[in-house]
Amino acid sequence: MTADDVVILCAAGMLVSVYLMVGQKALFVAIRLYGVQSVLLGVVAVAMALSEHRSHLFTSAALTIGLKGLLIPWFLMRVIDRIGIHREIEPYVNIPSSLLICLGLTIVGYRVSSGLAEADHAVTHHVVGVSLSMLLMGLFLMVSRRKAVTQILALLSVENAVFLVALGATSGMPLVVELGISFDVIVAVLVLGILVHRIVDRFESMDVSRLSKLKG
Amino acid sequence: MTLLHWLLVVPALTAVLGVPRLPRWVKEVNLVGGLGATFALSLAVAREFLAGRVPAAFADALRVDGLSALVLVLSAFVGLLSGLYSVGYLRRNEERRRRPRPQEPVRLVTPSRRREFDALVPLYVFAMLLVCMSNNLGILWIAVELTTLASVFLVAFHNRDTSLEAAWKYLVLGSLGLAFALLGTVLLFASARGSLGDGMSSLNWTSLVAAAGALHPYTLKLGVIFAMIGYGTKAGLAPMHTWKPDAYREAPSPAGVLMAVGMLNGAVYCLLRVHLIARAALGPEFSGGLLLGLGLLSVAVATPFILIQWNLKRLLAYSSVEHAGIMALGLGLGVEAATFGALLHMTYHTLAKPLSFFSAGTLAQLHGSSDLDVIGSGTLARTPVASTLFVVGALIVTGSPPFGLFFSELIILRAGFGGEHTLAISIFLGCLVLLFCGFFYQLGRVVLGPPPESATWKKPLAEKLDAGAATTLLTAVVAVVSAFYLPSGLLALVHAAAGVVEARP
Repeated sequence: MTADDVVILCAAGMLVSVYLMVGQKALFVAIRLYGVQSVLLGVVAVAMALSEHRSHLFTSAALTIGLKGLLIPWFLMRVIDRIGIHREIEPYVNIPSSLLICLGLTIVGYRVSSGLAEADHAVTHHVVGVSLSMLLMGLFLMVSRRKAVTQILALLSVENAVFLVALGATSGMPLVVELGISFDVIVAVLVLGILVHRIVDRFESMDVSRLSKLKG
Repeated sequence: MTLLHWLLVVPALTAVLGVPRLPRWVKEVNLVGGLGATFALSLAVAREFLAGRVPAAFADALRVDGLSALVLVLSAFVGLLSGLYSVGYLRRNEERRRRPRPQEPVRLVTPSRRREFDALVPLYVFAMLLVCMSNNLGILWIAVELTTLASVFLVAFHNRDTSLEAAWKYLVLGSLGLAFALLGTVLLFASARGSLGDGMSSLNWTSLVAAAGALHPYTLKLGVIFAMIGYGTKAGLAPMHTWKPDAYREAPSPAGVLMAVGMLNGAVYCLLRVHLIARAALGPEFSGGLLLGLGLLSVAVATPFILIQWNLKRLLAYSSVEHAGIMALGLGLGVEAATFGALLHMTYHTLAKPLSFFSAGTLAQLHGSSDLDVIGSGTLARTPVASTLFVVGALIVTGSPPFGLFFSELIILRAGFGGEHTLAISIFLGCLVLLFCGFFYQLGRVVLGPPPESATWKKPLAEKLDAGAATTLLTAVVAVVSAFYLPSGLLALVHAAAGVVEARP
């Protein structure tokens, strides 16, 4: 198996993880799926680092696996454990139709990616196609679900998608920038977690459809 | 250490000193002193720029050109005003009591909230300044994200149901917008196809503009769309403006003004940087058209919501959507005079908007709420000073004749009618007239009219000359005087900024 095959396989795995996230309701499964997705992203970075001899990608791979694959899922697990809510309630769009919509979004993502700078290069095309599809599906997940934790996971998947584009289309951002972005992501997750706590304390639920007093 | 380093170190240090438990006067001195020193430093940086040098640091990752210098001075100025007003605002809030409810503390501002506030306001200013001076698009993104993170708990400050709702919407929408902006940045970087190398400097705005001819058009276009949606969310351009009214209503006024003026300028600055890269590579139509469309839509969307508004601070939020729209529209027209008009608009808006925010904040504190039906009509008879100041502020921000915003809007309109987008400009003019009428309709309802029956209405607190009132008076003087006299240095900065935007390769 060449490095390119590994990259395509992992990117496909990330796409599957988002489909699985859309296709079920248990929150802890969704969190694990996010963890798996991040580890796959890390493997993509390692494969690229090896095949293109870019050593700074090792650092970003380690960061991705450590922070997004382990630390953030652990933190989110703790959040749902402490507030004691484990399942998504009936989403606004039911699951079979959600999956069909996601299929459409994948086609759109691939279509858009075919015009990019290095689209004639097969690996880039697949990777960017997958990540644009993930981006669209993350957006869809965000508007169609009610629980705050699901929205956080959707946001984080969108963020993983952006990192995948960065790997596929540019072979990695400058290291300092990547460090800064990772730091911001961690802080954002902490802030989101604290806010979920406050919301649950106050509303005794983390159902975001309750947050609907402000209009006009 | 150069001036630029100090300009970042001082607000960061102020934020750190805001964390520990200290007597109140120490905290106040720290906040006002720190932000005052920051403003002085920003003036020094601008002076250095006007003397013909280009202040830069960290291998050009931070670099101050004319555009940066203008936005930098404006942001630091708003930071100082916010610090000054927060002294009076928090003191007044500490005196006020919450209506007793069993599960809530009686005090409106708990000590831990106060520490949060003292640390987050300077941190917010720090992030805004970093936005204005970063030449590296990656650092730019990191700084914008930092402004979002710093302001979330300021929105949630009052810890009411609605504050949590507003903070949640703000954070989720803001983070999503920023994910888009990050994708945009990545695609801009990708459009160079590795020709800029992979070091830190490859993401520099200056090197992207210099290499504009070689950028891949499709990738660049996709990147520009994503970046404009992303930074447009932060600027509150329609249709991504929906967080704005909620966040402005819930944020305490000193934080609200940072978001409404400081962050607005910063986000318009980001949009402009992206626009300049796109213009150098693709010509003015593509990104200029996007800016024009978003700007016109914002002005049009703000109009009906101002007409039906039920809350004083939300009214200001829609006015801020309108002003963001005017700036985007002026910059999108692509005519030299309109660009100058838009940057002048940004300057006058920064000098005038704090007055509206502070007087609205004072009215809300005196009457116990910012909802129009709780305040009731005829405030002029009950709280004359705050009401008068609010009317003056409203006259200025709606662009009434003797004041600055009237002239900047006039410049944009004239330039627009001279160009090719006559239809868009006609719609824009119609919306401006409607907005003016709508704003004054709402104002008339609150300020004029008979005071409500005293038996059924809660009596407002008495007005007195405290720190908050003094700051509001000071901003009133600034807002009115600036209409007739702009310091020559500031005007030179506006010209320098317009020069950066209009510089053709």
